[in-house]
Amino acid sequence: MRRRLLLFLTLAACAGFTVALAAAVLHAAGAALPSALPEQLAASLGSSGVEHPVTAVLLNFRNYDTLLEIGVLVIAGMVGISLASTSSLEDPALRSSDSLLYALQRWFVPLMLLLALYLLWAGADRPGGAFQAGAVLAATGVLMRLGGLPMEFVRPGVLLRLGLVLGFAVFLLVAVAGALAGEAFLAYPPGMAGGLILTIEIVLTLSIGMILLALFVAAPVSDEHEPEEGAGP
Amino acid sequence: MNQWLMAGLLFTPLAWAALSLLLDFRQGRWLSWLGMLIQALVSLGLWVAVASNGGFYYALAGWEAPLGIALRVDGLAVTFVLLTAAVATACGLHAGVYLDPSKSWQRYFWPLFWFLWAGLNGVWLGADLFNLYVSLELISLSAVGLVALGGEAAALRAALRYLFAVLLGSLVYLLGVALLYGQFGTLSLTGIAAVVGADEPAAAMALLLMLAGLALKTALFPLHGWLPPAHGVAKSPVSALLSGLVVKASFYIAARLWLELGDRLGSHTLAQGIGALGAGAVIWGSWLAFRQPHLKQVVAYSSVAQIGYLFLLFPLTFAVAEPVSRLAQQGITLQVVSHALAKSAMFLAAGNLILSVRSKRVDALGGVSHYLPFSLFSFGLAGVSLMSLPPTGGFAAKWLLLQASLASGQWWWVVVLLLGGVLAAAYVFRIYRATFLEDRASDDFYHPPRSLEAIPMLLALLALGLGLVAEPVLSVLALPFEVAAEVAADVAVQP
Repeated sequence: MRRRLLLFLTLAACAGFTVALAAAVLHAAGAALPSALPEQLAASLGSSGVEHPVTAVLLNFRNYDTLLEIGVLVIAGMVGISLASTSSLEDPALRSSDSLLYALQRWFVPLMLLLALYLLWAGADRPGGAFQAGAVLAATGVLMRLGGLPMEFVRPGVLLRLGLVLGFAVFLLVAVAGALAGEAFLAYPPGMAGGLILTIEIVLTLSIGMILLALFVAAPVSDEHEPEEGAGP
Repeated sequence: MNQWLMAGLLFTPLAWAALSLLLDFRQGRWLSWLGMLIQALVSLGLWVAVASNGGFYYALAGWEAPLGIALRVDGLAVTFVLLTAAVATACGLHAGVYLDPSKSWQRYFWPLFWFLWAGLNGVWLGADLFNLYVSLELISLSAVGLVALGGEAAALRAALRYLFAVLLGSLVYLLGVALLYGQFGTLSLTGIAAVVGADEPAAAMALLLMLAGLALKTALFPLHGWLPPAHGVAKSPVSALLSGLVVKASFYIAARLWLELGDRLGSHTLAQGIGALGAGAVIWGSWLAFRQPHLKQVVAYSSVAQIGYLFLLFPLTFAVAEPVSRLAQQGITLQVVSHALAKSAMFLAAGNLILSVRSKRVDALGGVSHYLPFSLFSFGLAGVSLMSLPPTGGFAAKWLLLQASLASGQWWWVVVLLLGGVLAAAYVFRIYRATFLEDRASDDFYHPPRSLEAIPMLLALLALGLGLVAEPVLSVLALPFEVAAEVAADVAVQP
């Protein structure tokens, strides 16, 4: 009886919240102030180095947000591989040797890599870009992994860590190079925005793919633990 | 000059995070010492720059708000940047000695530490609601990673609970940001504050959501359940970082939102309600701290109590005279600074005590007063600041808050302030009592290195001395903001 009452109260609270939120959204939409942002965006798009407004916002106008978001991804990948107690697919018994799977992979993997490349390139003038391409790249890796292909580079080692941080590091170097050249932190030198954005997108794709893949496969097998404080020697 | 300082301030932690990921723990320690030095110098330089020329907006990537992201560098922000440099440096130095370099996972400590620092600087300087969200994420995820680092089931469980709590808080905050962006078409806090009116139910709902999310992330009573396990199970230098700095970041955003928008979107009930929750945190947190069997849990619940005081900002600045509001703001700022210093000192000292008696229980501390008087003394000095006895920073903060309460006719907060001090004395003296009992059969104590003992002492002395230098510290907060008028004119151009 008490549980049902609790359930009812929770549902009522959720419904009340939804109604209040819907009312707020409707009101906000009705009372929305005319914003100068679209005109400013259109006016500055020409000098942003890319044609697609979303890419321009992500990698030029608000690239500080993107830089920090990549940092968040690096943290996630890093924490993933630092959790020593997770079991992994390293067990040879789990390795598949299905010839049908291999045959399928020979078709799929090149196609998916091509798709990732296309998505990366498309980001300049239509929806696409490093995040989408990186996700496809990671999915390719997951497929290869599930098919039992050995992938030495995702073992936790300096190569993996280098891959995790590569995109972030290049982005950061470009950011500080702008500051050294006398512009603001993260500003691209005039005329070089397009090329720099493409460079950043390429390395970001690699790193994002690597991070997502690492979260999937790279957790090392280890039974060691950090003893809790005060738990004795 | 400012250009260089800002680039240094933003670039160093991020670059150090990337570099230290490629090194192992010992190499990372060398690198981090250099990084801490640079950060300290840059923070000091920025402080001097703001103190002599006033605050300024810094447009990142050369794009002015609202199209780009602007950072707001004012007296309050540089005070916190400097505080972060002090506390994080102390915790980093302590961690370099305290953590075991032979464990393979400790190499991830430095990258997480530097990402955390980058996120904190991002929050202090943030003036863009979405950018603040990203900085909060950076802080939350690296804090969760630090709690979980190589831990056993208990640490993982606490880290996961922590992750869920902070993610929920972030998402609720983001919902509020989305509502505000939908209505006002800008993410700049100054821009929104310039156009928001008094009767805006949607914006009021957005403010409520953002405050709720941030209260969860700050562990305001009764949403504090995730804090003691996470802060208690983490390694001591990590606990010190979490209690000293991390919870302050979400409070800082809540306070900035309230001071910019609260006068129009807030209400008397909301302000008094948040104040009541803060008062509840002071009483209930202190009582639970008094009851905990484990030393670090005592310190963690004490954080819950001390965070409660911060939320008195809301009733003490709502619909009161300008000088009273300023008193309250100064009091809360001093409370943040003195709690950050005292609590990190306390956690580091507690770590030393635990290391020495090889048990985390309070009743195992018997006799440690003979063997580790220095660490125990640091713990006590930090405790004096929490009890807010003169001349500590805690006392100066309480004194200002008392004046603000009386001047605004809200005498009931005075009761909370006084009772909180008495309860703090109770849980600190309980630890002291345990250390002087001589009922321990063996005298098998481990003596931690001198450097581990010196760092909490320095922090505790800073907390103690803060009361004596409160006036110069507060004068930095009141520094003029140079381009405020210019930006207001900018915003006014928009309809």
